[in-house]
Amino acid sequence: MILSSVIIVLGEVLELTILASLFLALSFRFRYNRHWIVYAVASGGLLAVLYAFSFDTVSQWLGGFGQEVINASIQIGIYFCLLLFNTFTYIAHHHRMTIKHLPWVMALAISLAVTREGSEIYLYLSGFTSSVQQVTPVITGSVLGAGIGLSLGVLIYYLFVYLSPRKSLYIGYTLLLFVAAGMVLQAVRLLIQIDWLPAQEIAWNTSNWVDESSAIGRLLFTLVGYEATPTPIEILFYIAAIFSILLVTGISHNYVSKKNRKLNAT
Amino acid sequence: MLTKQTLIFTLFAIQISAMSTKAAFAATPEFVIEIKNHLFYPAEVIVPANQKVKLIIYNRDPTTEEFESYELNREKIILGNRKGIIFIGPLEPGEYPFFGEFHPETALGKIIARQE
Repeated sequence: MILSSVIIVLGEVLELTILASLFLALSFRFRYNRHWIVYAVASGGLLAVLYAFSFDTVSQWLGGFGQEVINASIQIGIYFCLLLFNTFTYIAHHHRMTIKHLPWVMALAISLAVTREGSEIYLYLSGFTSSVQQVTPVITGSVLGAGIGLSLGVLIYYLFVYLSPRKSLYIGYTLLLFVAAGMVLQAVRLLIQIDWLPAQEIAWNTSNWVDESSAIGRLLFTLVGYEATPTPIEILFYIAAIFSILLVTGISHNYVSKKNRKLNAT
Repeated sequence: MLTKQTLIFTLFAIQISAMSTKAAFAATPEFVIEIKNHLFYPAEVIVPANQKVKLIIYNRDPTTEEFESYELNREKIILGNRKGIIFIGPLEPGEYPFFGEFHPETALGKIIARQE
């Protein structure tokens, strides 16, 4: 009982802490104020409770598919935040600029993530309030799981703060590239689940290399959306997600370079 | 002359796409699973392989459960006394375990995809 609670809450919290730690570390690197995290977690927590309370109603929307549509939208929202974050940090580093909107982007991403994970944790815990003897092991396991998740987050934070600015940017950028693609993949999976995107036969099966139910498999799933049996449309969206971020970064970089050249010429 | 040809071609194209859409809507087989006392009934569901399948899951417990499967790549929270609909497949013949994430000690089951 305790173990399953640990695993469940750890999984939810890990999705949050990975993002938050990367953001906080890069905030520190680029000397941004880090107050945004408080607002992000607070607003996310509020929305999570709201979502969980209204879950009965909203999950019935759209023919009983409200849950998938809302969750997929949240994942897409986080994706766009990460797209902007990657673009902004790349520009900020290469052109020695401070992008004042960056904390907003990070705050929005975390807020959305907290809404999604928080609501699931809330729904999980609310199921145990009725049976008294289960409450203690569930609470203990949940606190343990959250603790482990937070500890891992702290580890990631210090790992990134320890790296040089250039290394932390490139490693962070690449990592978030795949994290963002993982968000899109989760959204695509949900839409396939409700038949809004076509069902297809799987393209390949890499379970022999990394099984999705193994510890590494779960970690990769949480981190970058790893899937052992993807369908063609999932692969397509994953690649498109990565490509789009690179494209937007490239275009923005070009644009800012041109602007700076013009300014320097005058 | 050109507009008449375009019109005929367009109507032909619409006809073809309408026909293929009709074929795709050959009824999706439905299977019912119930959750009672944190157990799945039936625990083993035999479905046709290589075809899209609709699962209707009734949660007869008062508490929330989350239907999840790594092999099927599906997860859905189903509140107490509510139902959830999930599409799976097309699956190659084989076994695909699923579980209730909120009660993983007991809520276990598998989808068995069989060639017809």
